[in-house]
Amino acid sequence: MHQTEAFAAGEEAEELRPSVESDKKEERILARRLRLAARKEAQTKQRLGEDDLGKEDVKEETRKSQKEVEHRERRMAKLKSDGLELVTNIQVAADARESDRRTELEEGHRLRREKLENEAKSSQEKFEEINRKWTDAKMKQTPLDLRDALSSQQQLCEQIIADKNKLISELQQELKASDDRYVKDLKRQAKDIDLLVERMEEQISTLKKSYREDLHQIENSLDEERRTLLTKHKKKWEHERKDRNEKELKNMMQSLSVMEEYADLLQKLRVQTAEEYNIDKIRMDTEVQKLRMKVQQTKFNCHMNEEKLDYKYEVLKKKEEENAIIKSQLKRKIIRMQDVLNNLKSKLTKQEKQSKAGNQSLSNDYTRISQQYKDMQKKARHFAALDAERLEKLWLMCEDEAKALTHRALETDRVIHEQQLGLEWASPPLPFMERSGAVQQKTFRTATQAAADTLKGEPEGGLDEDTAAGLNKRTVKSILELLCDEMGFLVESKLLMLLSPLEKNEQSLIKLDAIFSAIGIESEKDVYKMAEFFMNYRQHESKYTKDETANGQGESAEELSNLIHTEDLLAALKDFTAQFCRQDVHASHKSSILGLDMRDDSEDAAYWESIANVMPESKLKLWDALDTALNKYHAVLTERTELLMETQNIQQQNSELRQLLHLYTTSKAQ
Amino acid sequence: MSRSQSSQRSGVMNSASDGQKRRSIIAEDHEWSLALVPLLTTLCLQHIIKHFEEKPILHELQPSFKTYVLQRLPASLPLTITANLISDESYWKRCCEARWGLADISTYDNSWKQMFFERHLQSIIELFIPDTTDTKTVLDVLPLCQNYVKQLRVSQLLPPIKEPSRFDEDDGSESASDMGSDGPSMDHFDFRMLLDKLPNLKELSVVYCVKGCGMNFEWNLFEFTFRDCESLAKALNSCKTLQVFRIHRSKVDDEKCCVIVNHLLDHPSLQELDFSHNHISDRGARAIAKLLNRSQLKTLIVCNNQIRGAGAQALAHALAKNNTLTSLNLRLNRIADEGGQALAQALIKNKTLVNLHLGGNNMTEPAAVALSQALVENCALKSLNLCNNRLGADGGKVLEEGMTHNCTLVECDIRLTDVDQDSEYSICQALHANQIKTKHNHDPSAKV
Repeated sequence: MHQTEAFAAGEEAEELRPSVESDKKEERILARRLRLAARKEAQTKQRLGEDDLGKEDVKEETRKSQKEVEHRERRMAKLKSDGLELVTNIQVAADARESDRRTELEEGHRLRREKLENEAKSSQEKFEEINRKWTDAKMKQTPLDLRDALSSQQQLCEQIIADKNKLISELQQELKASDDRYVKDLKRQAKDIDLLVERMEEQISTLKKSYREDLHQIENSLDEERRTLLTKHKKKWEHERKDRNEKELKNMMQSLSVMEEYADLLQKLRVQTAEEYNIDKIRMDTEVQKLRMKVQQTKFNCHMNEEKLDYKYEVLKKKEEENAIIKSQLKRKIIRMQDVLNNLKSKLTKQEKQSKAGNQSLSNDYTRISQQYKDMQKKARHFAALDAERLEKLWLMCEDEAKALTHRALETDRVIHEQQLGLEWASPPLPFMERSGAVQQKTFRTATQAAADTLKGEPEGGLDEDTAAGLNKRTVKSILELLCDEMGFLVESKLLMLLSPLEKNEQSLIKLDAIFSAIGIESEKDVYKMAEFFMNYRQHESKYTKDETANGQGESAEELSNLIHTEDLLAALKDFTAQFCRQDVHASHKSSILGLDMRDDSEDAAYWESIANVMPESKLKLWDALDTALNKYHAVLTERTELLMETQNIQQQNSELRQLLHLYTTSKAQ
Repeated sequence: MSRSQSSQRSGVMNSASDGQKRRSIIAEDHEWSLALVPLLTTLCLQHIIKHFEEKPILHELQPSFKTYVLQRLPASLPLTITANLISDESYWKRCCEARWGLADISTYDNSWKQMFFERHLQSIIELFIPDTTDTKTVLDVLPLCQNYVKQLRVSQLLPPIKEPSRFDEDDGSESASDMGSDGPSMDHFDFRMLLDKLPNLKELSVVYCVKGCGMNFEWNLFEFTFRDCESLAKALNSCKTLQVFRIHRSKVDDEKCCVIVNHLLDHPSLQELDFSHNHISDRGARAIAKLLNRSQLKTLIVCNNQIRGAGAQALAHALAKNNTLTSLNLRLNRIADEGGQALAQALIKNKTLVNLHLGGNNMTEPAAVALSQALVENCALKSLNLCNNRLGADGGKVLEEGMTHNCTLVECDIRLTDVDQDSEYSICQALHANQIKTKHNHDPSAKV
């Protein structure tokens, strides 16, 4: 029992590490496999992370290495299980032996027990027999019998003892055998253990070897893989590098060219700027010089100005002094003047008094003189009539004289023409020859007459056609009516009262007369001017009425009244009076004051002029030219006579001189 | 030191513009240069290292100086100073290497400090001799290492030393040790004073035997007394953080097993229970079966015991209702056909068990029939070990048939079961197919 234990213990101890129980081995394999898988995965992941492009190839290659790894793994697992079996075979064999031994032991136990039981039974029987015999022996009386009995008893006992001894010896022998067996078992177990150790070592060595080999193989495969990958990547790298180099070269060339371009550009720019700079510099220099000159000039000017100013200052000072003197003089003068003024004032008062008195006397004189003036007027009229008579007489006399003169002039002209010039003479027109006497006096119609005419209607035409060419009678009439309707305030209310019983036409006529007198219109011209002004004014004021004025010439009075607004009429009238009437007023007043002589002298002058100018200007010029020519002719003739005289003298002198020369030449030749 | 001090001093003097002295020193020693003079800081640090025992200054230093000090601290410093002060791994690595030479750190959570304290505590316990060694030796260490010990693998427990007469007596009686009535003097180290003081303990392995006794072999060196058992059970109950408990080769029989299991009922964290190489038979198996459904157990190992059909039936009954257990190891027991059939029926109902080891259990064809049925129904089991059972050719065929309907089983050990080559091959094929399937199921999940 103990030996088995010891063996088992040893075995267990040996078994503990290298040859683990089956489940543990499984676990180990599993763990290894997991580790490998994890490593592989990590590798692949790393590779995947390194380059996604070579993904496919990497996968393929890893599959190769994976295959290799798996193959190795499988082989190792087989090797291990084989080795494990080999090693555990010993254990199993020992177990088998042990179990055999146990069964044997059990069997031996059983047999022994049986034997012992048998033996015990037989010995019991024998013992009982002995016991029985003891009672027999007690019965025995005789010593011989007793001795026999005792001896038989002894024999029996010896037999039992012998049996027992036999048994004991048998058992001892068994014990010895089992001891021997134990020793043998021990030896065998020792051998087994040796074998086990040997096998284990062998196993370890083989495993080590194969592991190494495997490792080598796997490493090789991985190396190869890595190498291929490396070469591939290198190639790729080279390719990429080359590409890059080329690109860089290209870029460099490009940049160089660009650089050159820029350098050229820079050079150009530099030159340009340098030129510009030079130009600028020169310009600036010239400017500087100019400016310097200017500065010099200005300095000089300044100096001059300073001197001038100094001088002027001096002058001013002197002037001031003079001014002061003049001021004082003026003051004195003012005082004097004041005195004079006072004197004058007093004089003035005196004068006023005197003038008042004079005025009085003068007014007296005036009355006297006006009386005289009236008388004088009477006389003047008288003299005027006389004068007119005398004028007529004078006129006729002068006319005759003038006519005679013209006759004479014409006669001379004719003589000049015919005799001197040899031209045919044509007498100029002489209209005034038929006329005789003073110029007919043309009288002007007054405004009121014209107004009355117009108001009366259109019985007499033609006479006024030329004066109011642009204006139709009807429009003028309508304007006049409008005036007399609107301008009632110009007429005195008393007059209006007086007029009320009169006829309408007359009424308006008188009204117009009053209005005209108020405005200051006297002649018919003025009336037409006014009408024209109104028309123009209306055209000025409102353009929209233009077409209506165009066709309004032959239209009714209502339309014309529309042409001039009643409100505008007053303003128009005001403007008209302001523009036209003022200067005429004074003139007409004068003439009206003078009044008596209505004769116009303007045509007289023309009349006389025409008489005077019966010889036209050209003819006068001709006469002038003829005169000068004749004069010149006369002069030439006179000069000729003189020259004739001179030539006679010179011819005389010449003959004298020739005589002299002849003398001299003869003398000299001698 | 003195030399360097003197040169240091001279250097200082130099800086104080004592030109003459400097010149004379150069004339005396051509090799001397200012670079050879140790810095004041290094001198100070060296002083700190030298007097670390009297005045441990470490955390007040700058990081660079701290590493300097830690690199040069001697491994022989008393634990009372270093235990809670130094957490630097390199220092503890040096300690471990100085004490034990080579060591595999991977079994100690890759922590040298943990390793140091675990092995330290382990050695103290392993060399503890009851009644002769003062318990203070253990109790003194405890406060130092309680925060760092997570696993405790006690590979031997020494019995108390006793008189030769007794020794002779015990030598004669072979079965008396089983009774555990040899008196108090046979008791081993009492775990009660230890376990409740280790707040981080997760794993405990105990072997009640003496290592390397050689020619001094005595049966009573390999004793696990009833009192030991009780004390151990109470200690286990007090340690609520424990996840793994192993007791190997300690002659745990039904009675002791019952005691231990009773104290482990409703333990909050226990996940693995290992009773390998003991003397547990049906009664103990029944107790363990009771424990199965009153704990969080995931792994149960009762290999090399004496469980027979009845015990296996009890375990199977528990297994049918259980949903935490993933691994069950019944190697080298005697459960035979009845136990095998019962377990197979339990497998039909169970949905969590992944590993099942029934090697060397004296099973034959009927068990194989039942197991093949279970294989058809079950979809959780991944590893099944049936080696060393006389299933026979028919049993192999039946299993083969069952395997054709299964799609989860990945491993099936049918060595030395008298199965036909053909059926073995076909079973292997089916397993292989399942392996590939599971791999495919796993791979996507792994990728995800």
